[in-house]
Amino acid sequence: MIQATGYLKIVKTGPGTSIQDEGRTGFAQYGVPHSGALDSQSYRWVNHLLRNHIDAAVLEICQPGLKIKFDSATEICFAGAKTAVKLNGQVISSAGIQEIRANDHLEIGAFQEGSILYLGIKKGFQSEKIMNSRSWYMGVTSSDYAKKGDLIPYFTNHSPSCYTASKVKWDFVWAQERRIKVYPGPEWDLLNMENRELIESMEFTFSELKNRMAIQLAELLPNSLPEMETAPVFPGTVQLTSGGKLLVLMKDAQVTGGYPRILQLSEEAIAILAQKNPHQKFKFQF
Amino acid sequence: MKPILKRISQEICEFEWEAAISDVLLQHQLSFKAKLQEDFSTEISELRMGFKTLAILLSKRVETSEIEAWLKAISSELSLKALPARIWQIPVCYSDETGRDLETLAKHKNIRPEELITIHSQTLYRLHFFGFLPGFMYLNGLPEALYASRKSIPDRSVPVGSIAIGGSQTGIYPSSSPGGWHLIGQTPLALFDPSQDNPVFASPGERIEFLPISKLEFDRLTRHPHKPKFR
Repeated sequence: MIQATGYLKIVKTGPGTSIQDEGRTGFAQYGVPHSGALDSQSYRWVNHLLRNHIDAAVLEICQPGLKIKFDSATEICFAGAKTAVKLNGQVISSAGIQEIRANDHLEIGAFQEGSILYLGIKKGFQSEKIMNSRSWYMGVTSSDYAKKGDLIPYFTNHSPSCYTASKVKWDFVWAQERRIKVYPGPEWDLLNMENRELIESMEFTFSELKNRMAIQLAELLPNSLPEMETAPVFPGTVQLTSGGKLLVLMKDAQVTGGYPRILQLSEEAIAILAQKNPHQKFKFQF
Repeated sequence: MKPILKRISQEICEFEWEAAISDVLLQHQLSFKAKLQEDFSTEISELRMGFKTLAILLSKRVETSEIEAWLKAISSELSLKALPARIWQIPVCYSDETGRDLETLAKHKNIRPEELITIHSQTLYRLHFFGFLPGFMYLNGLPEALYASRKSIPDRSVPVGSIAIGGSQTGIYPSSSPGGWHLIGQTPLALFDPSQDNPVFASPGERIEFLPISKLEFDRLTRHPHKPKFR
């Protein structure tokens, strides 16, 4: 069957809207970041509900003020942040499946809880696939963030799904977790006892400095860790700079770094952290 | 030279060598890496290298004891492969116009810019691994005479292809990016091609040589770029 292509048009967008999927595995050897959805839980959930392929591309939305238009019929699904969403001016839920007709307008307003909303689409967005992934990253794909006027392709003529009256409830409670599960990183043992006890017991705060590469924590941790030779880092690696800054690396982080790597987060912990907002507090759990 | 195994998480393991950065260490790392890939081909989804480290990302559960046993077993029998002989020649226009810090850095080093160019271009650099930016090569071998501490305030934008010095390292910016290194020249060649399955031209262990070219040649190659060549 030849599939007809429809387009999602970006009418208006705040910063930080991008196409993401599972990301790139196996290209770190060339210096290419992993990329992919910051909150893998919500990402996987939208594709699961849409019965999409596990690595179908979705729209990752990090700011209110997004307006989009669909030129043909499809089915979309939301997960992640609780957000004010309007379809053709009518308030709709920011969780679960939504049928879309040709020329429908969608508007993303204020974020009420969480910080990233995922918009999945039947069969996934069909933007360019580079190095086995559609995730946008500057210098790898031609776009890094969505701009006004962008057209993002999707397949439109799929068989209509059988709707049931029941709605699967999207449970976002997991994102409220304030204990972040971590493992000691390669340089953890180089920290003195005082620093280690502090990290294990203290409450940390998210700063305003947050992007797809890293989240900086508000607290400073004076330390005397020695300089080190450039070494591998991963999404979820927590670096401690000589100035005492704590950087939690996210999905677009470089593949190597020169700062001591004191902690490592699990994939699940990255998703929880990604949904946090500035000034929120948390503790590391070992 | 046996590395230390650090189990970081269920997915991540790191091997660390307690030795100075050298060709010999790199030879050990690369031979070790090849053996790892061979023996854990279905379990490893990705490898990341550092100057003294090698990290693996596991896609299947592997017990630490299994890796420890493997490490013990191979340490005695690991056969070292020679480093590749290939030398890549990267044309570089060293000038104020294409490397805005050339004069300042030379002055700071108390040498003439020509001397700086000679020292920089008469050295062969060993590619250890890629990192920092897609296609950025971590090179070893910068002569000590050219070591220069990084800028205290990084430049907002370093032009693509810039040849730069930072600390004890030299490198080429494969894409435009912010950066804190001193810019001494620029290559007209594209060093990263995302449309290719292998987007880079060189492999770890190979060497890089910088060939000084004129501004005229730089402009010509900018208009008619070719792929990097080796000798």
